[in-house]
Amino acid sequence: MPRPVPSSGAQHGGGRPGHCFLSQLHIALLTYLHIALLTYLLDKLPPQGLRLCHRVVDGLCGRETPHRGDYSATWSLEEWLDLLSSLTEFFRMAVGNNCSDEEAVLNVLRARQDEIRRALLDRTTSISSSTLQDFDWQLKLAVSSDKISSLHTPLLSLSLDVRENGALQPVTVEINREELNTLISSLEAANKVVLQLK
Amino acid sequence: MRFRFCGDLDCPDWVLAEISTLAKLSSVKMKLLCAQVLKDLLGEGIDYDKIAKLTADAKFESGDIKASVAVLSFIFSSAAKHDVDSESLSSELQQLGLPKEHTTGLCRSYEDKHSALQDKLRETSLRLGRLEAVSWRVDYTLSSSELREVNEPTIQLKLQVQGAESGSTETAVFSVSADKFRVLLAELKQAQALMNALQ
Repeated sequence: MPRPVPSSGAQHGGGRPGHCFLSQLHIALLTYLHIALLTYLLDKLPPQGLRLCHRVVDGLCGRETPHRGDYSATWSLEEWLDLLSSLTEFFRMAVGNNCSDEEAVLNVLRARQDEIRRALLDRTTSISSSTLQDFDWQLKLAVSSDKISSLHTPLLSLSLDVRENGALQPVTVEINREELNTLISSLEAANKVVLQLK
Repeated sequence: MRFRFCGDLDCPDWVLAEISTLAKLSSVKMKLLCAQVLKDLLGEGIDYDKIAKLTADAKFESGDIKASVAVLSFIFSSAAKHDVDSESLSSELQQLGLPKEHTTGLCRSYEDKHSALQDKLRETSLRLGRLEAVSWRVDYTLSSSELREVNEPTIQLKLQVQGAESGSTETAVFSVSADKFRVLLAELKQAQALMNALQ
């Protein structure tokens, strides 16, 4: 389920009692859904998407509701029901609550679409069972040890925070020069492929 | 008396005592014994049967054999630990009463293996984890339940890490987004540059 956009965006046009704010938030949520669907619709089927919106409003106004059969090739039953109910509710709430702020909400959404997309990308990556959350490193010069008085070996401590099924799992490794060279050349090879894909 | 090969400390009594045990061997046999002890220190394995034969002439008992192997191990590893050159080692061992021919043989063996010994000591110094192997795979994500059109590469990484205790290997498998991966690689390269600047 998508999260609501940051509240700073949804709080515009305050001064009205709390319940309206809540309904605005609701609209924000629905708008968000709506935008996602609409973007998809307009991207994929520009005339059909717009027509469907009109059919939904038709249905709301007591005229003929859209027929699932006309769109069965495009959406599964579940998607269809989701789409229909969220579109209907969006139009109903926008007019019914007399909140004229949906334009502001839409503006925020348009402005922050990239950011939201990035967040969704992150969530896409976290679908894997374990993901790299964060990493830190520390470069040290090992000076001396019980085995040899002048050790003089640089060591890199790499600590990785791996999120595994919701829990953070720390992985720490001490890497010497040769191991670091191996690691980097291996990652370089992967990076080459990544750059080709972009 | 302080000795460089003992880290500028007194020579331990047991070493002093066992140097006279070494003197009972012929200088040729002792040099061969040195070769065996150095092999052991370098991790190439020691041939105890050979050592028993080498020390048979001097009528060594098993206690003497153990003591002579121990004292040679101490001399070599301690001298390498404190980076003592073979000339200084030679004069210090003679001060401790090891005959000149024995000393020459020992110091020649030591000189040959000096850097190998130091490498070995460096390698066996305490390490908190080692990186044993890296595997990767690049995936191109087309679509997901969160986002219909993703079209972004994702990197799967597998690191095999040896823990602080020897023999404990753990494997970390995780996926990294392309952005994070770029940052990780850039920072590792930064660390590499710093590391290379240290030399």
